[in-house]
Amino acid sequence: MATASIATAGVGTSEQYNYDIIRKFAIMTFIWGAIGMFVGVYIASELAYPFLNFDNPYITFGRLRPVHTSGVIFGFGGSALFATSYYVVQRTCQARLFGGEGLANFTFWGWQAAVALSALGYMFGYTQAREYAEMTWPVDLLILFVWVAYLAIYVGTLLKRKQPHIYVANWFYLAFILATALLHIFNNLQVPVKLFSLESYSLFSGTQDAMTQWWYGHNAVGFFLTAAFLGMMYYFVPKQAGRPVYSYRLSILHFWAIIFLYMWAGAHHLHWTALPDWTGTLAATFSIMLLLPSWGGMINGIMTLSGAWDKLRTDPVIRFLIVALSFYGMSTFEGPMMSLKDVNALSHYTDWTIGHVHSGALGWVAMITFGSMYHLVPRVWNTQMYSVRLINVHFWLATIGVLLYITAMWISGIMQGLMWRAFDDFGNLQYSFVESVAAAHPFYVMRAVGGAFFLAGMILMCYNMYKTIRQGSTEAHAGLNVAAA
Amino acid sequence: MKHDKIERNLGILLVFTMLAISAGGMVEIIPLFFIKETVEKVEGVRPYTPLEQRGRDIYTREGCYLCHSQMIRPFRDEALRYGHYSLAAESKYDHPFQWGSKRTGPDLARVGGKYSNDWHTQHLIAPRSLVPQSVMPNYPWLATTELKYDDIQDRLKSLRRVGVPYSNSQAEYQRNVEEFGEDVAKTLHIPDAQKNLEAQAQSGNYDTDPSNITEMDALVAYLQVLGTMVDFKKYDDDYFVKFR
Amino acid sequence: MEWLLWFTRFENTKPLSLVIFFLVFCGILFYVFGSKKRGEKLESYKNIPLQDDEI
Repeated sequence: MATASIATAGVGTSEQYNYDIIRKFAIMTFIWGAIGMFVGVYIASELAYPFLNFDNPYITFGRLRPVHTSGVIFGFGGSALFATSYYVVQRTCQARLFGGEGLANFTFWGWQAAVALSALGYMFGYTQAREYAEMTWPVDLLILFVWVAYLAIYVGTLLKRKQPHIYVANWFYLAFILATALLHIFNNLQVPVKLFSLESYSLFSGTQDAMTQWWYGHNAVGFFLTAAFLGMMYYFVPKQAGRPVYSYRLSILHFWAIIFLYMWAGAHHLHWTALPDWTGTLAATFSIMLLLPSWGGMINGIMTLSGAWDKLRTDPVIRFLIVALSFYGMSTFEGPMMSLKDVNALSHYTDWTIGHVHSGALGWVAMITFGSMYHLVPRVWNTQMYSVRLINVHFWLATIGVLLYITAMWISGIMQGLMWRAFDDFGNLQYSFVESVAAAHPFYVMRAVGGAFFLAGMILMCYNMYKTIRQGSTEAHAGLNVAAA
Repeated sequence: MKHDKIERNLGILLVFTMLAISAGGMVEIIPLFFIKETVEKVEGVRPYTPLEQRGRDIYTREGCYLCHSQMIRPFRDEALRYGHYSLAAESKYDHPFQWGSKRTGPDLARVGGKYSNDWHTQHLIAPRSLVPQSVMPNYPWLATTELKYDDIQDRLKSLRRVGVPYSNSQAEYQRNVEEFGEDVAKTLHIPDAQKNLEAQAQSGNYDTDPSNITEMDALVAYLQVLGTMVDFKKYDDDYFVKFR
Repeated sequence: MEWLLWFTRFENTKPLSLVIFFLVFCGILFYVFGSKKRGEKLESYKNIPLQDDEI
């Protein structure tokens, strides 16, 4: 009888909210996560053991690397953002998604097609050669259409909300949608070679192109990988902890400060280059200021747990969320530090940057996604997680993986920076370039091992989710039969 | 009445968010298009020849920028290792820019002329036969794949549309003669692009096999021109400092 | 478009951005913490995610 009541409740909720679209995006989150992270481990291994390129054009490092970045950022991260934003906006507005099934499904199929087509395209050599924006122009157009539909759905749902106030998580998601549209449009201005050619040349060149690209590149991190996931944090941390966020007023301050400051910081990727100095100095100043709202947000999230710290011991999902916030705090401290010109002189062009990206991407983005998904999936499938013990194992695999990864990259990055600038007693360069490559080898192996740990956790999650979803569907089925009888 | 207010709130949220996220980009990017000092005045920087441009297309296709930067910073060690620091002018015809962000391999901004064509060809086919500790992939197919250049005129026309001074008329050709001299202007003339590409591949003999034009020819031609356009002996070092 | 050049000079942009940023920041600060009543109203919104199960 219990199953029957859950199932009828389930039918009720699915009428009130569009959960079908959330289920689709959730499943793709796991699939892209596994694919993207597998490719990541593979290219990490290629750097440690170059024979793995197998003289095969389609799987050389240069072509697979964008497959990895697009797969994890847009496939895994993007699908997770669609899933959670549709969930959060419906539940905090108590309104069904605007635009009906059709528009929501368009964003699903359009987005999946865009990620799949760009990944295949890279392997065949079709790329714009702009980091994190390698998609060719037809894919760019597809993304634009999807994004307009996404914005329409989001704004439409907010307009028909029953709550008078718009909850702060939605502000972050909204800023992410707007900013991504802005960045996507201006960084992808280009002229195709021919109407039916996938190749194109960028509208801007040299310095202006570099500035536009890193304005995009940095804010893709700022809005796609930070603001949007902060929206996730502001909903799922309070929900999983069962208590409201520490301070709502702090979250308002956090929001405005972070979206304003982030946009200025992009030029710190171009210190000491041919970009005029004033741009870099301005960017470094704003990067330092960014530390304050970033830590404000982290404290707000972590303090939500104040008075219920024992949950950290008992609930592995909370542990994912809180450790994600800790990594967020760590990488938002590291980032401003690396934006100082003197530190940047050492760190730029080295593996340190790669380590920094991954402490954010694995530690913050992936961990907060894991936590949120462990909360969301049982609810939209109306069941319990198949195994809490496996969540716990996943947590430890992921944590060990991140730590191995970033430690390896710190050591090899700082070592590279120091070797490149070392002089002998006669004022000559002490090391040839290739000596720094050889010295990095053990750390490249260590990085691949760390990545493999993280991937193992991801695959475990896929299994756990598969079992949970199967269980959810059977229960719903059984419930319907009981209800019919 | 109440509903009216709610909608206004969302509108206000949207407007203020747009304002907050637009400010930074506008202040930092827009001026770059109007400041004359952003790009230095130097002699010698010219658009790529058809063959070099095709080589550049292969450079971007293979994702070389993911491991090689093309931007030398003004430090003593980089000056010794790579040469004079990169100028903005040196990439002003680069669509897209290829400054890069990571040096898994060395910087390539001034690799042109440092190694022979034979060395580059052998190195691209099997990097570890020359540099045992290298982690670069082998690119043997470049030497066996014929270069596709039947669309070279379309490519140059697209580049012309985004502002690279390739000439498509007699008047534009004359302008290029004045700006770059006759020898260079000839290589930038779109109607002769095929002919120029073949001639350069033949005379340059980049992949050490004169019988055909391969992707290797184009890529090596591109690598060999990198950083060689400006003659730094002509300028005092102070000259460039004021542009930074 | 010449007026845009004004923004490229550091001696102009530094104080300008500082003033704008500071004023806006003060505005938000006042809005958020300026009145006790408004503060209480804002803090009440933090319960929105926890109420959604009841509907």
